[in-house]
Amino acid sequence: MTKMKTAVAAAEANITAETLMGPAVPMWKRTWQRLLRKRSGQVGLFIIGFMVVIALAAPILAPYDPDQVLIGVEHVKRREAPCIHLLGCEASKPQHIMGTDENVRDVYSRILYGARISLMIGIVTVSVSLIFGVLIGAVAGFFGGWTDTILMRFMDVILGFPSLLLAIAIVAVLGPGIQNALLAVSIVSLPAYARVTRASVLSVKTLDFVAASQLLGASRWRILFRRVLPNALTPIVVLATLGIATSILDAAGLSFLGLGAQPPMAEWGTMLGSAKDQIFSAPHLVFFPGIAIMLTVLGFNLLGDGLRDALDTRLN
Amino acid sequence: MKVRLLGYGAALALGAVLGSPAFAFEGTSVSAPSCDYGGTIKSIAATDELTVTVTMCKPDPAFSAKIIFPVFGIQPSEHIAALGPEGKLLDDPIGTGPFKLDAWNRGDSIVMSRNDNYWGKEPAYDKLVFRWNASGAGRLNELRAGTVDEITNLSPDDFDAVENDPSLQFLPVASPNSFYLGMNNTYKPFDDVRVRQAIGMGIDRQRIIDYYYPEGSEVASHFTPCSLENGCAGDDWYAFDPKKAKELLAEAGYPDGFKTKIFYRDVFRSYLPEPGSVAVEIQTQLKQNLGIDAEVVPMESGEFIDAAAQGRLDGFHLLGWGADYPHVTNFLDYHFSSNTKNFGKPQPAIYEPLAKAATIADPAKAEPLYAEANDEIKKLVPTVPIAHGASAYAAQANLTGGEVPAFGAIRFEDVNPGKDTFVFMQNAEPISLYCPDESDGESLAACTPITETLLRYDPKTKKIGPNLATSCDANEDSTVWTCHLREGVKFTDGSAFDANDVVASWGAGIDAANPAHVGNTGAFTYYAYLFGSLMNAK
Repeated sequence: MTKMKTAVAAAEANITAETLMGPAVPMWKRTWQRLLRKRSGQVGLFIIGFMVVIALAAPILAPYDPDQVLIGVEHVKRREAPCIHLLGCEASKPQHIMGTDENVRDVYSRILYGARISLMIGIVTVSVSLIFGVLIGAVAGFFGGWTDTILMRFMDVILGFPSLLLAIAIVAVLGPGIQNALLAVSIVSLPAYARVTRASVLSVKTLDFVAASQLLGASRWRILFRRVLPNALTPIVVLATLGIATSILDAAGLSFLGLGAQPPMAEWGTMLGSAKDQIFSAPHLVFFPGIAIMLTVLGFNLLGDGLRDALDTRLN
Repeated sequence: MKVRLLGYGAALALGAVLGSPAFAFEGTSVSAPSCDYGGTIKSIAATDELTVTVTMCKPDPAFSAKIIFPVFGIQPSEHIAALGPEGKLLDDPIGTGPFKLDAWNRGDSIVMSRNDNYWGKEPAYDKLVFRWNASGAGRLNELRAGTVDEITNLSPDDFDAVENDPSLQFLPVASPNSFYLGMNNTYKPFDDVRVRQAIGMGIDRQRIIDYYYPEGSEVASHFTPCSLENGCAGDDWYAFDPKKAKELLAEAGYPDGFKTKIFYRDVFRSYLPEPGSVAVEIQTQLKQNLGIDAEVVPMESGEFIDAAAQGRLDGFHLLGWGADYPHVTNFLDYHFSSNTKNFGKPQPAIYEPLAKAATIADPAKAEPLYAEANDEIKKLVPTVPIAHGASAYAAQANLTGGEVPAFGAIRFEDVNPGKDTFVFMQNAEPISLYCPDESDGESLAACTPITETLLRYDPKTKKIGPNLATSCDANEDSTVWTCHLREGVKFTDGSAFDANDVVASWGAGIDAANPAHVGNTGAFTYYAYLFGSLMNAK
């Protein structure tokens, strides 16, 4: 039996892309090069790189602890407008380049730390929904029949709800909090991954090298995970990159509604939510977290666009 | 024709007989068969044309304070008997007040016109219009645009803007309220009185007022605001003393503090205008001053109120109380009686003097007992009173008489908008204009200019004054209250006001077996709440 398996593996090794298409630049390297040539890819990568640096270096960059209430520490008021010494703010006043918030905390420090949370939200939710969505889609597409029908109808049910409404419903049942918000956003973005994976698997599984593996007697699971899935991943990678953007937006939306991150956590959506009534009296409290969310989402969208172009063989 | 004429004549004759003073007045009454039903009212009887006698099941010195509530407004007994059983009173109020209902344009406005039969001072304007807008910014916009003359509940953020606007006037609301930090003595470490005392003196309450409350708010010296008689009996609350607090905490075995939670609901109230920010502020102070690590936990409003009332919150909770009627019992008895679970196990040292005081009608005689109770609250710290919050209305600068009394709606007959129409804008549309079965402030405000109560809070003397009754007096132990009604008052339908109208109006509310006890939902919440229970309920 083990002999048989090794034989299959050895035989299969001979019919990989290399034997079929000749020596090639590794796919990911090629994609990377193409991505760097695209304007949207460049800008997207730059913005995300910038956000990642901010997130990692937050403790160094931030002048204050994000949760520190400055009453009694400094002579500042609540919701004080930004004070930047370089731009003519009196030197006697402490510098808060994005002002202070409703609890007299430094908004700039909170924005920096907020990058950590938002990136974490984006990556965690997409990872979770990616793993389960791809699994569901791959199984459904590859095995077909009843498995396909049941799994995909279930996905259709989830897709039938407006995503944010469903997320709100899930959080309402589980209770507000950042973990539950992550879970809710993961669940609502599952069907997209499942569908795309299924479509991709359906087209890949009819290709000749899959038939070849079948002829050689490879097991169905082996064919699925070693042959079909790796070759069906391209559209999923693009979708996942764009998905990070949507997840960040959805999670910020939940936090804005008071269902996601809870105070005093420095989360951009929560910051927006607690300042929404002061939009006229203290616009800086809405402006900076709003800009931060917008930039991050834009970054991931541009990167996703760039990746799609770079991965699309027809465009090259 | 003949028959009709004859009938008319007979009615006239009967009317003349009924109307003559010689005809004996037949007083009606409502009563419970016994006091076992759990409420505080035994019977309400019209003892003569202008006297109503209310017999209580147990002493209730706050009776006269409770009946100023608009739910106890008086309508003609014939009107209630005719429309009440069919539930048709909801948009057809007849009263004795300065205005009468003209039209209720659903979703838009309620229009009232001056009542020429009004017994009091004639209003300076002809038409009173109620409008509503749920958004604070929206109300202020309308006021600025000049489409309305006065608005309720100004957003705290707009206080400065209105005060600095020469075309507007800022009208502070004196409504007594109290914000407190609750603890539950059945959970560790709050079971140790030293821990609670440490928290009582370890929070800088002045700082919370300075930073998080609008101008006009005060640090709470006692649980009850001082504007209520005997509210401030006894010693003032502890001064802020983090050093002593730390010592107490160390004595109790928590030199480095402990871990706990701060529960709250994110709902705007005058006593707590910014719950989220104040929760974080208290969290910060607990950490800084006492080393206590508290997690901030916002809860859904209904769930939070239930959990607090049943004593299920094992950390701190941020809650408050707005006065329903001007009596100290409304604050103290509600929170510290022998069956309240908000703060865990009720403390006899607090509820015993309160129970004694609640039988005494004379405030001066009750004072030492309230002082004793307040001092025990300070000593045992079931909760830390923090603030009495301010709120405000706003009006056009040229308007006079728009001041907001501590209890009830503004005095519409005293307003002078300087023109024929006064447009008043509140938060929401009234639910109905049959106020005995409503409990929201918006409905009650709209009933106020139409139906009147026997007594009324007088903002000038800051005491309860006469209205449809010239006085209501209690016997020695406040078990029998006698109200003497004003003479010569007429309803807007022309009928004369007498004691039977009071019995009919109150009877429809308190007596569940009364045919007119239909109302809107049939709950008659305030009758049940203020007097313990509805009588004759099945």
